[in-house]
Parts: sequence; structure tokens; C-alpha cells
Amino acid sequence: MLRAFNACLVLAVLAAAYVLYSLEHSIRGVERQIARSNAAIASEKETIGLLNAEWSSLVRPERLQRLAEQHLKLKRISPDQFVKINELATRIPAEPPVKLEEDGKDAIGDILKAME
Amino acid sequence: MVSVRKDGHLAGRNRLRLVSFGFILFFASISAQLGYLTLWQDRPEKTAVEYSERVPRPDIVDRNGVVLATDVPVFSLYADPRKILDVDEAVELLTATVSGFDAKSLRQKLVQPNRAFVWLKREVSPAEREAIHNLGIPGIGFRVETKRVYPMGRLAAHVLGYVDLDSKGIAGIEKFLDDQGALYTASLAEDDTRARPAVLSIDMRVQHALADELAKGIAKFRAKAGGAIVLDVKSGEVLGLVSLPDFNPNQENKNFTFDQANRMTSGVFELGSVIKAVSFAMALDYGTADLTSRFDARAPLVIGRAVIHDFQPTRRILSLPEVFTNSSNIGTARMVLGVDVARHQAFLRRVGLMDRLVTELPENAKPILPKRWGRLVQATVAFGHGFAVQPLQGAQVVAGLLNDGNMLPVTFLKRDRADAKPLAHRVIKSATSEKLRYLFRLNGLEGSARKANANAPGYRIGGKTGTAEKVVNGRYDKSKNLTVFTGAFPMEDPQYVVMVLMDEPQATPETYGFSTSGWNAVPTAGNIIARIGPLLGIEPVLTEEERKTLAKQAEKEGRT
Repeated sequence: MLRAFNACLVLAVLAAAYVLYSLEHSIRGVERQIARSNAAIASEKETIGLLNAEWSSLVRPERLQRLAEQHLKLKRISPDQFVKINELATRIPAEPPVKLEEDGKDAIGDILKAME
Repeated sequence: MVSVRKDGHLAGRNRLRLVSFGFILFFASISAQLGYLTLWQDRPEKTAVEYSERVPRPDIVDRNGVVLATDVPVFSLYADPRKILDVDEAVELLTATVSGFDAKSLRQKLVQPNRAFVWLKREVSPAEREAIHNLGIPGIGFRVETKRVYPMGRLAAHVLGYVDLDSKGIAGIEKFLDDQGALYTASLAEDDTRARPAVLSIDMRVQHALADELAKGIAKFRAKAGGAIVLDVKSGEVLGLVSLPDFNPNQENKNFTFDQANRMTSGVFELGSVIKAVSFAMALDYGTADLTSRFDARAPLVIGRAVIHDFQPTRRILSLPEVFTNSSNIGTARMVLGVDVARHQAFLRRVGLMDRLVTELPENAKPILPKRWGRLVQATVAFGHGFAVQPLQGAQVVAGLLNDGNMLPVTFLKRDRADAKPLAHRVIKSATSEKLRYLFRLNGLEGSARKANANAPGYRIGGKTGTAEKVVNGRYDKSKNLTVFTGAFPMEDPQYVVMVLMDEPQATPETYGFSTSGWNAVPTAGNIIARIGPLLGIEPVLTEEERKTLAKQAEKEGRT
């Protein structure tokens, strides 16, 4: 009886060892994965920082103003162009000032094409 | 243990039992503890603090989150001369791949067998880095360094300041961040790679409109220099601060000239516009004068051996509002002489003009005050002669006077209007503030600040102008002016204070030969307000007359 019991114990030890080692192995894998992800996160954060800096240098108001003056025919808003929402109905012109979709023409598309 | 000695056999078995029982207890307690520690104990979040070579420096962003200053990693090329096998080959390969290498000096650097480290090139571009990496020269490597960049360039450079080569702040908000100490920087830190940004009160759109219009004004009137400030009256935040000429903080060597310094905080000026407004506030608040008071401006005011003149003499008796709109030195002096010296000084101290204004910016100048106070000094201080303060300080006072008498300390960091309320301190009565608002608006409609409203119709601007002669070699020089406009809009409930300062503007044919504030600083301020009004969400309210003028203009330009 004692021998059978000992054999059971030996088997149990082997099984436990197997489970333990496979567990540890998978944990090592997970830890490597975590380290990789952390490195990737750090590098992504760095990239985000760089892109933010680049974005901010692209939206420099002085640059936007120069581009707008070059490419757009927009003017600064005049104070009489501010209209309260309940007065809006009285200010709608009978004829639209710019006919966007006049017989198949694409006004915005033309502007974009001209810019290219 | 007496029985053990009597029966040895039994004693042996009992001993065995005792020992095995002890072992079982011992192991059971160990397994219990082990199980407890592994199963029920919370794992600590982080076993150790990861070591980071780079000290994070917080980004600086404007009130809308636009990045104004940030750290970017750059790669620098170094060599370990001991490890280089073939110097000739290394020199040949490097000069062939990277432009800007001088073969001779490069060889000199590499032939130093007792040195272990020598910089070859700082800030290598990513493409060059890749190319050098592919050469595979032993003993050559890269180090990551951080570089502080200011993507907006010159814009708001005076507020931001700059850092030295070791990423240490030495001017502006950058220095402020360093002066707050490591604790403050750490409190901003989110983790060890990037820090939470410091949020400024500056609005870059406002800042640009200020810089652009001021530069146009300076060019138009051929001024030597200039400055402008926009303050939020209700929160004390600085929305924009420009001082021209400015500088580019990205510049490699930071040996900027004195002229490029921030004249709005690190310089002091005789701000006639501000000091006169303060004089009126004082007289009205003490009750020594009211809106119906009259002052004799028929002849220059003689005090002892000194004579006080008016810039544009009216030669008649003026009412108090007329003294304000005509900017009469004689009238203002007479009004202030109704207050005794001690109370005059006390009032100036109460609004903070006697002390140095300290904000987040480390560059701040102490006011220049008269040493001995007599009646003459009192009379000249009334309109700003011999009393020089920081322009920002002046803007803060005017904002306080117009804000129902609640003066707020100005700040360059974002602050809520609600958070600002408890910081306010009352400098004048609410009723006095109302009278001042009336005077400011009157001056904007009929007085020297008319041109501001002409350039920005609908924004209800009120303001005070000031023209000071500059002191050259200890004397006032009539040909060199410093013109200032300090105004607010919309005047029925002032939200924003705008200050424009011009140093030595010249008369042009358009200004009929005048170079006083009303002809240069005021129209420039008008242009500024016309641009920032819509940005700040102030609804323009037009009078019938203004509507007609605008319609005429629109017709001329062919606008529909």
C-alpha cells in the first residue's frame, strides 16, 4: 500500500513539475511580450510627441495666414456679417451668391485643381 | 519526562512521534504561509522603478492645447578611438557618406588612442544615421540626446523663454518651471517617458493677431520698437503678450541683444495713459472730485519754478470728462493736488504701482519712483512724469479699475474665471469703476481714442491714450515720443484689456504730422481688436451710422 502511495506521490510530483515549468515558460513569454509592448508604447509616445511638434509647426498662425492669402480668396469677417439666429431668415438672399452645383460644375473641385 | 527513563522502548517511539509531529507542523505552517503569500497577497504594482536616462521636461502648451515647446530625441555621433581598427578607412567612409565632415579634423579626432570618447557630430538626421549605421564601422556609435524645440518659432518667445544646452530653463516660463524645483516637475510627470504639459494662459491665435498687427503698425509709423498685451479682465490671464523686436528661441546661440528683451515686463516706462486713469480713479474714489468738477486749464500751471504745459492747449475751463478726453496735464495735476501726498501715495500703493510686479515670468523690473514727494512731484506724477512702471503692471491696474474695482493678479498660467474670484482685491468702489467706464467709453467715442472704434466698429472700445516724451541724457526730448493706448472692450461690461505701446513712432503724411498716441497706437489697437474680437466671442453691436459706413465699404469692395 505504501509503495502504491509513493508511486502516486512521484507521479504527482512529476505532474506538478510539468505544470510548473510550462507555467513559468508561458509567463516568461508574457513578460517578454510586456517588455516589447512597453518599448513599443514608449516609441509610439515619442512619435506622438514628434508628430505633435510637427503639427504645431504646421499650424503656425503666421504660416496659415500666408497660405490663406496665397491660395484662398477669403476676406476677414466684417462686423455686419454677424447675424443673430432669429434674424437669419431676413438675411437669406433670393439668389445664392455662389452656385456650387451649376450644370455639373464643381466649384470647390475647381479651386482644389487650381491649387494643384 | 520521568516515564521515558522507566521504559526506553516506549520512550523511543514517543520521541519519534513527537519529532514527526513537529516536522508536520513545521511544513504545514510553511505551506500555509506560502499559499497565503502566493494566493491572497496583492502583487505590488511595480517591483522597481525603471531607470530612465532622460529627465522628462514638461511640454508647454497654449490654452487650447497647441504645443509651444517640446522635447524631441536627436541622435549624436560619437567614436571610441581605441576601438577603431582602420582610421583611414573610417575617415574615408564617413566623409563619403555624411556631408559636412572635414577629413583632416576628423582624422585628428580619431587618432587619439588614449581617449575613449569623442563627439563627431551632434544632431544627426535620421537618414544620415541610417547611412552611418549601415557602414558598420567598429568603434562608432550613436547617443540619444533630447533637444528642446519651439515649433511656433518667434511667436510668444518672450513668454516661453528658452533653455540652455543642458535643457535648463534660463528665461521665461522655462525658467519658472525650473525654479519651481524638481517636486513641481515631478508632479507634472505622468510617467517616466513624458511629462504632463504646463498649460499657459496664452491663446496663440490672439498672440499672432497681436504680433501681426503690431508689426504692421510699427512698420507703418517707422517706430523703433513696440509691445502689446491682451488681458482677460475677469480672470487676470494674459491672453497675448508681444514685444518687438523679438527673437527665435530655436536659435543655436542665445546671445540676444538687450533690444530683444521683453519690454512689457523687464522694462519700465512712463505710461501716461495708465497713470492718468489712476489719478482720475483716485480723485473720484476719495470724493475730492466728481464728474461735474471743473478745472482751470486757461494758463500753464506754475508750481515753484516749474511750469506744467498741455500738449495740445485748450486754454479754457474744462469739466472733468473734458480733462480726460483732452488729456489735459494741467487739469489732471489740479485735480490730483486736491488729494494730500500721503493719501496719494497710499492709493498708488493700493493699486500696486509702488511695488515690483512679480508674475511667473522671471524677467520683471522694479518701478522707478520719485525719491522726494512734494507738491510738484505730486502734480507731475498725476500724468505720469517721473513715474515709470512695467507695461504689464499698468494693464493689470486698468483691468482692475474697470472690473468693478476688483483687481486680479495677472498670470501666464491658465486660470478659470471662477477660480480667479477669490484672488481679487478691491481697489476702488464699484460706483467709481462705473464712472471710470463712462470716461473710458466717452474718450473712445469723442476723445483721443476715437480711431480705435473707427477701425473696429461694433466692439464698443473705451480707452485712454498717453504720449510721453522720452528721457534722453536726463532731459525730456520733445521729438522722441513713447505712445501708449490702454483700452478695454466691450465697454458696458469690460471683458478684455488691450494695451499697445510704440517707441518713437514717426509722423506720416496720413497723420497730418502728428506722432501722438491717438494717431499710431490707437488705430493699431483698433486693428488688433477687430481681429481678436471675433476670436474671443464678443458679439459686435453696430449703430445705424456704423452699419451705413460698413455697407458703403462693402459696396466699394464689391462684396455681396
